[in-house]
Amino acid sequence: MTRDPYGEALRAYFSNPAHAGDIGGGTEVRVDDQGVRIQLALAHAGGRIESLRWRAWGCPHLLAACEAFCSEFEGRGCAELLEFSGSDLMQTLAIPVEKTGRILVLEDAIRSLGNTACAPAG
Amino acid sequence: MNEDIVYLDYAASTPLDPRVAKFMAELLVNQKDSANPSSVHLAGRRASQLVDDASAQLANLVNCQPSQLVWTSGATESDNIAILGATRYREADGKHLITMPTEHKAVTDVFRALERQGFDVTWLKPDATGRLDMQQLDDAFRDDTQLVSIMYVNNETGVVQDIAAIGQRCRDRDVLFHVDAAQAVGKLPFDLTTLPVDLASMTAHKIYGPKGIGALYIADRPRCHVEPLMYGGGQQRMLRPGTLPVAQIAAFGLAADIAATSMSADFEHVQMLRDRLWAGICPIAGVARNGDAGNAYPGILNVSIDDIEGESLLLKLEPVCVATGSACNSQIQEPSYVLQALGVSDAMAQSAVRFSFGRMTSVEEVDLAIDRYRDAVEQLRAIAPEHVA
Repeated sequence: MTRDPYGEALRAYFSNPAHAGDIGGGTEVRVDDQGVRIQLALAHAGGRIESLRWRAWGCPHLLAACEAFCSEFEGRGCAELLEFSGSDLMQTLAIPVEKTGRILVLEDAIRSLGNTACAPAG
Repeated sequence: MNEDIVYLDYAASTPLDPRVAKFMAELLVNQKDSANPSSVHLAGRRASQLVDDASAQLANLVNCQPSQLVWTSGATESDNIAILGATRYREADGKHLITMPTEHKAVTDVFRALERQGFDVTWLKPDATGRLDMQQLDDAFRDDTQLVSIMYVNNETGVVQDIAAIGQRCRDRDVLFHVDAAQAVGKLPFDLTTLPVDLASMTAHKIYGPKGIGALYIADRPRCHVEPLMYGGGQQRMLRPGTLPVAQIAAFGLAADIAATSMSADFEHVQMLRDRLWAGICPIAGVARNGDAGNAYPGILNVSIDDIEGESLLLKLEPVCVATGSACNSQIQEPSYVLQALGVSDAMAQSAVRFSFGRMTSVEEVDLAIDRYRDAVEQLRAIAPEHVA
């Protein structure tokens, strides 16, 4: 039997994209690279992430990774975004190595979001 | 089949017809039907008779002589024996071959292997609908051309080629003509007595028979011959040795027999389903039909959609089982090489879904597929960002 390329966790995040959408007036980054499009939005207060939203065009692994990231990072400190590594997500969602490039695009988008959020207001 | 599954991937493989399954199961469990058909004892002769009956049934479906059929493991093996066997037989006369890039991998990969062995292959480009331009074929023939291989019904788009016209051009030049008819046999009329076809590949599992059994038709014609690819045992006129799988062959025969009587009803049924499916999804913005709507087997409908990622679409469609690309390489999410050959953009090819249905498909299943497709597109578009300027 052909192995199911989508694990249980991946299917759950893909099927229930609760954090898909926008945040009016929040911090936002957009990336269009390697055949995928990602938009991340963040609202924060006092260095803490209040809400995260995503939009994406890409494979199920990327969409699930976006949802998993938003689910896990709400409530954390903005500075943690700068340290984000996609490797944990790849392990949690059992993302195959051939999809690494797409997850690195997400990683760049998340770090960019962190940089924008952490930048002193000017 | 799992009742949760809505199976719309008949072009990859059809379910077993229950009558075929019952017949085959009886043969498999009956000790008296387990003999080697090459054995001369009573049980062997009984097995041999089952093979002969199946040969007659399949020969009746495609209107040829039973002796012109060689049993194989499926269309892939038939394609290999036909192309490699014929080129080996005629190699001394020339090394030029003609085919199309839209053929099944079981054909294109064989031609690529022959190219590596020094053969010169002309790849005829299809038009935007997938059809072969006859002028292009006429221009491709050379004095040293030995074989043309063009499929009857394309496995991804359902596009039907003008086999009679292609075959006649080959006959006029004493060039062998091989047809991969895996998607056509039992579904469209395929009369090998009147068609100028020299070699034809067939398989059981596209016509509600079992997997693992196919056949190769070889015309009785001067200079129409294939060299064997395997040796040992001398079965089937030494063309394809090995003990014959009697139950599979007999089941293929019954499937062919059923197809012969139900072909026209099956055709009308899939035509109705295809029209219903297309009517249901064509109003969705950005949907495009791939292939030639006027020259296609109606059991296959291939559609692309603008700005939708194909792999996500496929997962959203579950439990509707359809194909992206061809089934044998759908583990690799690359744009279909067939659609790319038709000039379909990478993005549109990557979003392509092949719906295929058959005798057992119900209207309710097609309606469910319409709903799932519409919902999937709506959901994926709702979460997609705008293009970055």
